[in-house]
Amino acid sequence: MAKPSPSLYSISKTFVWFALVSLLLLGSLIAIVLLDHHRDWKNWQKKFIALKLEKTEKELKAADEKLDKKKIQDLRLEIARTESDLKAHQSERAARRKAAAALEPRLARAKARAQDLKQFQDSYKYFFEEYRVLGDRRAADFEKKLAEIAPRLTEAKADLEDLEKESEAKKAALEAFAQKEKDLQKALDQILQEKTRVEKKIANVKPSLAKDILNAPMLDFLHPSLQIQQIALDGLEDDYHFAKTQKVDRCTTCHLAIDQKGFEDAPQPFRTHPKMDLYLGAASPHPVEKFGCTVCHSGNGHSVSFITASHTPHDEAQAKEWVKKYHWREIEKWDAKMLPIQHVQAACAKCHRSVVEVPQADKLNRGRRLAARYGCFNCHKISGFEDRWKAGPDLRRVGSKVDREWVIRWLQNPRDFRSSTRMPQIFHLSNTQSPDEKNRDDAAIEAIAVYLMKNSETVELSVPPAIGNAEKGETFVKQLGCLGCHSLPGIKGGDAAAELSGLGSKVKPEWLYAWLKNPRHYSPNTRMPNLRLSDEEAADITAYLLSNCNDPFEKSAAPKARPEAVDQMLLDSMQGTMRHADAQKMLAGMTDEEKLEALGKKSIAHQGCFACHAIKGFEDQKPIGAELSNESRKDIHQFDFGFVDIEHSRRAFIAQKLRDPRGYDKGKVKAYYEKLRMPQFHLSDEEIESLTTFVLSLTDESMPLEMQKRPDLREAGVEKGRLLVSKLNCNACHALDGKTGALRALTEDPGAAPPILDGEGAKVREKWLHEFLKNPTPIRPWLTYRMPTFGLSDEETKTLVEYFAYLAHENISYKGAEVPETSPEKIEAGKKLFGQLQCAKCHEVNADSAAMGASFLAPDLTLAKKRLKPEWVKKWIEDPQTLQEGTMMPTFFADGQTPITDVLGGDAKEQIEAIRDYLYRYEAPDKTKGETREAKIPIANQAA
Amino acid sequence: MLESFKNFLNSVSSPVTIFTSAVLVFALFVTFPRQATSKPAGLAVLLLVLVFFGIGLTDEHFRTIVSTPDNVPIVGLIFLFGYFTWYAMRKAVINDRRIEKGEPTVEQAETNEKVLVFPYLIFIEFVVALAYAVMLVLWSIFLKAPLEEPANPTVSPNPSKAPWYFLGLQEMLVYFDPWIAGVLLPTFIILGLCAIPYLDRDPAGSGYYSFKGRKPVIIVYLFGFWILWILLILTGTFLRGPNWNFFGPFEVWDVHKVVPLVNVNLSELIFIKWLGVGLPKLWFLREAPGILTVLAYLVIPPAILAKTVFKNVFKKLGAVRYSILVMLLLVMVALPIKMYLRWAFNLKYLVAIPEFFFNI
Repeated sequence: MAKPSPSLYSISKTFVWFALVSLLLLGSLIAIVLLDHHRDWKNWQKKFIALKLEKTEKELKAADEKLDKKKIQDLRLEIARTESDLKAHQSERAARRKAAAALEPRLARAKARAQDLKQFQDSYKYFFEEYRVLGDRRAADFEKKLAEIAPRLTEAKADLEDLEKESEAKKAALEAFAQKEKDLQKALDQILQEKTRVEKKIANVKPSLAKDILNAPMLDFLHPSLQIQQIALDGLEDDYHFAKTQKVDRCTTCHLAIDQKGFEDAPQPFRTHPKMDLYLGAASPHPVEKFGCTVCHSGNGHSVSFITASHTPHDEAQAKEWVKKYHWREIEKWDAKMLPIQHVQAACAKCHRSVVEVPQADKLNRGRRLAARYGCFNCHKISGFEDRWKAGPDLRRVGSKVDREWVIRWLQNPRDFRSSTRMPQIFHLSNTQSPDEKNRDDAAIEAIAVYLMKNSETVELSVPPAIGNAEKGETFVKQLGCLGCHSLPGIKGGDAAAELSGLGSKVKPEWLYAWLKNPRHYSPNTRMPNLRLSDEEAADITAYLLSNCNDPFEKSAAPKARPEAVDQMLLDSMQGTMRHADAQKMLAGMTDEEKLEALGKKSIAHQGCFACHAIKGFEDQKPIGAELSNESRKDIHQFDFGFVDIEHSRRAFIAQKLRDPRGYDKGKVKAYYEKLRMPQFHLSDEEIESLTTFVLSLTDESMPLEMQKRPDLREAGVEKGRLLVSKLNCNACHALDGKTGALRALTEDPGAAPPILDGEGAKVREKWLHEFLKNPTPIRPWLTYRMPTFGLSDEETKTLVEYFAYLAHENISYKGAEVPETSPEKIEAGKKLFGQLQCAKCHEVNADSAAMGASFLAPDLTLAKKRLKPEWVKKWIEDPQTLQEGTMMPTFFADGQTPITDVLGGDAKEQIEAIRDYLYRYEAPDKTKGETREAKIPIANQAA
Repeated sequence: MLESFKNFLNSVSSPVTIFTSAVLVFALFVTFPRQATSKPAGLAVLLLVLVFFGIGLTDEHFRTIVSTPDNVPIVGLIFLFGYFTWYAMRKAVINDRRIEKGEPTVEQAETNEKVLVFPYLIFIEFVVALAYAVMLVLWSIFLKAPLEEPANPTVSPNPSKAPWYFLGLQEMLVYFDPWIAGVLLPTFIILGLCAIPYLDRDPAGSGYYSFKGRKPVIIVYLFGFWILWILLILTGTFLRGPNWNFFGPFEVWDVHKVVPLVNVNLSELIFIKWLGVGLPKLWFLREAPGILTVLAYLVIPPAILAKTVFKNVFKKLGAVRYSILVMLLLVMVALPIKMYLRWAFNLKYLVAIPEFFFNI
C-alpha cells in the first residue's frame, strides 16, 4: 500500500482542525446560552430591585426613627432579668417537666380505650337496629351488649377527662415560670412590628447568593427570582386575521411599579401610572387584571423587548432620545403599533361606543366636536355618527339672501370675507396652481354661483316697518342672548354659529329682517332658533348687523369664467359617459348660461358641496368622502403617501392630510377631475392633533360585550338628549350636565344670567317642560336673555324631556305628581309663613324688587303649581344649597329648625309642607298689578 | 461618480441585457476553459464580484435587499456555485491537458494511493460536520429571524415571492402560461434529469473530470443549470420587486412603478397587424398559425438534425431514445426562444385558446 497523500489525509492536521472546530463550537454554544440569558428585561428587573431596595431602606430608616428607644431598652432589660430568674429555678422546672412527661403514656392509653369502646358501641348499635327491623333473634344479643358497654364507655371518658385535667395543670405549672418572659417578648414584638415587616420585605428583595444561583444561566428554569411577568386577559383577544388568541400583556415585566403607589417620580420604566384612580387599581373602573395594557395603549403585548413591544415615540425629539438610549427602531412590519401618548385617547372609543362624549377623554371629545363642526360627518360616512346634521346652511333659497357676485367672491377664498369661517377653501389650492387649473377653478366658481342662483326658490321677504336704530340693535344683540352662539367683530361670544361680521357686504336688509323674525321661513331645517323678536327689535338688530361691512371684499375682483375653460371642463366631464364628437355636438347646442349651469351642477357634484349644504337637485346624491368607519385599522399600504416625504404611519398620514388636504397630489400628473378634492380647513396644530386622535379612534374591532360600556334605556335616553343638546347648543346659555354655560360666564351678575339646569328633571313636571320647550313662556321676567323657540318636533321635545328626567334619575310621568292633599288650616298656616318669611319680596316682580337688582329676583310663583314637582319644592325649601350651590334663596330651615315657632307648633317639617301646599293654591295677588309690571320691565312679555 | 455608475447600471439593467450578457459570459467560459480556469482569471473574477458587492453595500437599497435574512443564502449561492463550477472545470482542464500529454488523469494517479475509510475519511467528515454545526449556530446568532406582521390571508404581500429555490419557476411565469411554467416545465425538468443516465450511456470520461471528451453534454447541462435555473433565481431574488416589476440593482422598489404591458398574441400579430383582416371567429382557424409553428418546431428540427449534425447520435441512440433526447432539448431551448420572442416582438402567446384555458 502506498503512502497516503499528506495534503489530503494528514491525521495530525485533522487533529488540529478538530481542536480548533471543537473550541469554536464550545464558544458558539456558550454564546447561545449567554445571549439567551442576557435579556433587557432582566436588567430592568435588577435595576428595579435596586430602586426598591433603596426605597425600602428609607422606609426602614423612617420606621426605626419612629421607635421608642428607651422603652425597648427597658423591655430588653426586663427580659434579661426574667431569664436569670428562670435559671435560678432550673431544678424545680426539670422536676415539673418530668412529672408532666410521665403522664403522657397514661393519657394515650386512656384515649385509646375510650376510642375503642366508642367503636364497639357504634357497631352494636348498627346491628341491633338492623336485626330488630328484620325481626332477627340476634337483636336481643346486641341489645344486651349495648346495655353492657354504655357504662364502661362513660367510665373510660371520665378517666380520660381526669387525666387531661391533671396534665394541663402540670403543664400550666411548668409554663408559669416562663409566662412573664413571653408577655414581655410579645410587647417588644409589638413595638418592633413595623420595623420587622420592612426588614422582611428587604430580605425578600435583597440579592443573595441563593438567588444568584437560581438566576444563573442553565439553572434559571427551576425557580428564578427574575421572571417574566404577564397578565393573561380572559375574554380579550388579539386579532391575527381570522385567528384570535388570548390577549397576554407582559408589559409589567419591565413596568414593574406601574400599579404600585410611591413610584410617581421614579425614572421610566418604573414610574407609577399617572392616573391610578382611573386605571389599573382594583377599585378603578379599569382594573389591570381585566384590561391589561395593550387594549388601550396598543403595541405588542407578548414582547419583552423595547423595540419589538412596538414602543412609539410621541415626537422627533423622543425618537432621537430612544435611538440613543435603547437603539430604538420602528418595527415596520408590525401593524398594531403602540399609540403615541398624545393619541392614546383614541383607544377609549373601542369600548365607549354610543356615547356623545367619553368621560375624561377631552382630546377625543374635542376631536369629535370638531368633526361635527367642520362637517366631516357630512362627506365621510362613519358608523355610529350617521345622525349628525349638515354643517353648512341650506342653499335652496340662497338667491334671496346673496347675489351671484358675492358667491363668486366668497368661493375664491371664504376667509377673505370672514377669517373665522368654518367654510373650507375649495378652489385655488396647492394642487390647482397652474394657469390652466386656475382658469378652471374660476370657471367652476362662477358656474356654481350660476347653478345656485338658477335653482334657488323664491321666498317672500317683507320690508322692515321702519329704519332701525343700530345702537339699540347692538344692545339687543348683547342682551337677548345672540352671543351664546354668535360672536361679532370685537365682541366675544360663542362660536357655534357664524361670526356676524361683514353682513353689510353680504345680505339685503329685507332678507336679514325676515330671517331674524323667523329663521325657518327661509330655511326650514336651520339650527338658528326663533327669538320671537318684535318688528322694532328685528329692525334695530338688522340695522346694527348691516352696519358692519367688509370693503376690501366688496372691492375684490369676481373673476369671470373663461368660455374656453367652461367648454373644456364640460367636454372632460361629458367624455366620461359619451363620445367626444357627441359631447362637442351637445356643447354646440347650449347657450353660455346653460353651459355654466351644467358646469355648476358638475362642479357641485364633483366637489361635494351638497354634503354640507342642502342644494336643489342633489337630494339623493351620495357624499364624496371615503368611509372612515375603520380608518384606524386600514392597511397602511392603502394610504397613498405620493411623493410627500413623511413617516409612513397612519397618524402621520392623517395629520398631513388635515394640514394640507391636497398635498398628496404633489408631483403627480393628474387631470383636473382626478385631483384630490378634500378642501382646506386651515386647522390649527391643536385641532389637527384632536382630529387625528378622533380618526385613530375609528375602528370596527370587536370587543367583548361585557367590556363595552353598554347604555341601559335611561343612559341611551341621556345620550340621545346630549346629542340634541349639542345640536341646539343649550350649553351656550345654560349650565348643564357638567358644563358651565358660556353666556353665564359672560354675564357679570349671576342673577341676570340664564338659569342653571342641573337637576331640572327633578324640579319641573314633564308635562310643563314639554309645553315650555314647544312654546316658552316667561318665568323670570327680569331676565333680558330670551329662551328661544326652537320649533322642536314632538319627538325632539320628548327626547329633551326624557334627557332631563333621566339625568336627574327621575321617572317620567306626563300625568305629573298629584297636588298634595291638605287641610284648610295648613294652607292658612302656609299663607302666614309665606308672609312672615317674606317670600313675595323676591318672588313677586314689581318695582320694589326690581330695584334690589337681578340677583335678588326669583321666579314667578304663580307658575309653581303647573311647573314644579311637589317633592322637589319640599326639598328646595328645606335646603336650597344642596340642590343648587350658590343660590340666593335663603335657607330658612337650617338643620331642620324653624325660625318661626308659633306656627304649627314650630314643627319645621309641617311648616315646609304648609308653605308648599299654600304655593299649590297660590294666585297672583292682583291682575292689574301684573300689567304695570310689564310696562316697567322692558322685555317682560318674553320668556327668559 | 459612484452615483453615475449606479445610475448607469440601473439604466442598462433589464431582463434582456442581463440574460444576454450571462449567455455571452457563459459562451466565453466554455470556449476558453483553459484561460477561464487559470488562477489569475479566477481571482480576478472573484475580486470583481467582491468589489461590486463592496460598492453595492454602500447603497442603502442594495444593502437592504442583499442583507435581508431570506436573501443572504442566495448571496452565498453565487460564491459557492461559482467557485465549484470553476473548480470542477479547472480539474477537467488539468486532466484534459494530462490526457493530451499521454499522462494518466489525476484520479487515476490517485487511485493507487488508497487509505482506510476509518480514520482517514470518517474523521475528516466528522470535523466538517462540527464545522457545519458551528456555522449554523453562528448564523442563527447573527441573522435573526425577522418579526413580521401576523399573516393576513386577505392581503398578499407585494412582491409575493416563492421560496428561493422556486424563483426560477416563478420567473418563467413571466413568459409562459402558468400551466406550462408551473406544471409542464417542472415535470420535464424532473423527468429529463431522471432520463440522463438512460440517454447518456457513453462510458467515455467516466470516473474523472474532463471537458474535451464530454463537451456537448457538459455545455448543455451547465447552460440549463446556470442560465435557465440559477440566473433566473438570482433575477427573481434581487431584481424583481413589487408587482414583479424589474428593478435595477440600485433602484428603489417603488410599489407605484408602472411599466406598459403591451404584449400581443401571435394570432393578433398575423391576422391584424400583418394581414389586416381581423381575427377569425373559430379558434382553430385563429390559432392555426401558432399551432403549426409549434408542431413544426417539434417535428422539423429533429428530422433535419437526425440527418445532419446528430447523425451519429441518432445511430447510437436509436429512434426512441433519440426522439426523447431531442424533445427534452427542444423544450429546454424553448425557454430562451420564448424569452427573446417576448423581448423582440412583445409576443405573449404563440397559441392562445382562452376557450380551453390553453396557452403556449
